[in-house]
Amino acid sequence: MGAPSFEITQDKLRYSFGLINRMTIPPALNSLDPRVHRLPITGEPGPLVPLAPLDQFGTFEVFVQPKDGKPFQHEGIVHAPNLKMAYVLAKETFTRRFTCISMYVVETRNVMVSPMSEGDMNAYDLIDEESVSYNVGEKTRYEIYHLMKRGKQQVHVGSVEASHPQEAFVEAKQMLNSEKAVHNIWAIRTRDIQFTSPEEKDLWLTLPEKKFRDAMEYRGGEKLKQFLEDRKRHPRYE
Amino acid sequence: MYGGGNIFDELKADGVELEDPVKLEAFEARIRRGEKIEPSDWMPQLYRKQLIRMIEQHANSEIIGALPEGTWITRAPGFKRKMALMAKVQDEVGHAQLLYSAAETLGKPREKMIEDLINGKSKYSNVFNYPTFTWADCCFISWLVDAGAIVNQLANVKGSYGPYCRALDRICAEESFHLKYGHHCVIYLATGSQLQRQMFQEALTRWWAPMMHFFGPSDKISMHTEILMKWKVKMGTNDDMRNQFLDMYVPKIWELGFTLPDRNLKKDTQTGRWIYTEPDWEEFKRVINGGGPCNKERLEVRRIAEERGRWVRQALKSPKTNYVTPLA
Repeated sequence: MGAPSFEITQDKLRYSFGLINRMTIPPALNSLDPRVHRLPITGEPGPLVPLAPLDQFGTFEVFVQPKDGKPFQHEGIVHAPNLKMAYVLAKETFTRRFTCISMYVVETRNVMVSPMSEGDMNAYDLIDEESVSYNVGEKTRYEIYHLMKRGKQQVHVGSVEASHPQEAFVEAKQMLNSEKAVHNIWAIRTRDIQFTSPEEKDLWLTLPEKKFRDAMEYRGGEKLKQFLEDRKRHPRYE
Repeated sequence: MYGGGNIFDELKADGVELEDPVKLEAFEARIRRGEKIEPSDWMPQLYRKQLIRMIEQHANSEIIGALPEGTWITRAPGFKRKMALMAKVQDEVGHAQLLYSAAETLGKPREKMIEDLINGKSKYSNVFNYPTFTWADCCFISWLVDAGAIVNQLANVKGSYGPYCRALDRICAEESFHLKYGHHCVIYLATGSQLQRQMFQEALTRWWAPMMHFFGPSDKISMHTEILMKWKVKMGTNDDMRNQFLDMYVPKIWELGFTLPDRNLKKDTQTGRWIYTEPDWEEFKRVINGGGPCNKERLEVRRIAEERGRWVRQALKSPKTNYVTPLA
């Protein structure tokens, strides 16, 4: 091995690859990563060509229900080509590690957002009820979310029936307004949401079994203690 | 968790004097009160720009950082280590997703960030421009590079920008497993055969300089960061973060009977600060500007991944959904 350094030598490559050292190392990309050598289009590093501008997918908001009896809360976003794919990607991104019992997604542009309030002001007081027209057309269900503190997440508080988003905010003000100041309100038409069906809920049943992702599984204390005592008695490592 | 809290480009703290003084005062008052800034709030251009840079570079560090560890998944010793390392690397890539989303709320689309990374326009943590020769190098990253990143991020979670703090909250919660896993791997090497001990000792010797570089240039030569501290973009100086890392981890390394390649390294019992040989900042600059052993490879692997995935993205692309800036 020689003195420890970061210089990539043929010796180190052999050492690092071990038994799978059967590839030839392309001179331009003298890599230790076996995957790099499996990549068929590598060789000379190509010029860095800017990406095509059309690749960017749409944006979707993700909501997760952590426990039975707890409300859904906003967790973040994913980019996806459609609602169904957004659901799949959201499951990977947001429910991979922490136990949860349900999740749903909605396209960001279908989320209606109230103004953000300042200080102790309630965001519901910023809604202009005068200018809203009522009962125009068929009523449909809207899900309502509150932000109770800056820096925290939007939390689902209930649903209302309304014929358009502004009416939904006014309905929510009457039915769901809280004693404490609400900083920001979201309203989402229920039928725009991709929900988890009851039969899909077993998606998350295996989460508690994945012990190899649990910090509790990596207690090295006993081994360390044994080593330290051993060292005190026989200082063979000095 | 691999990066965070560092801005690797030069900071030009200009343009603040052109901001509306009334709005600027309200913004600063909000930060003084300990309230978080949310995406729809007014903010100075410099705040927006620096946050985008910092969060973007943090996100870049997560996906680039997955490469030197990812290469060891197939060669990790035993099935359990393979499963754990795979889960860890997947977490890190997931962290990049969360961080890119947070940066997007400030107005830079994700595709643009990926493009800037591949074209070498935006940086990532310098420590990943070095190779992982052996399993012990991989363990060094899992334990100590992660530990360094955690020091940075536990500070940053108290920062002022809401979406970044929320992303870090999630990330820090996932990290508890990574750190324990990394330490566990190193304990096994340390208490193993002479060859295993030697492997880790060599990794430690190789990685010590990049690790000291990890926290960024010394405060003595570092760029003016006062305004970023005031706005709670940066939560501690580079030297403070480095000192905290040394304080937490040098005793743990020594406990295992390993030697660190710096004869001057010791804790000043009077001041509580660590004394060490000043890292070679010229070397740091040389590597961050493309001169490291793996710079070329890291970007090339990302570029190839982008190119190979393009047909999938194009096949899935639908004109019915459009990109919009995330809400929170």
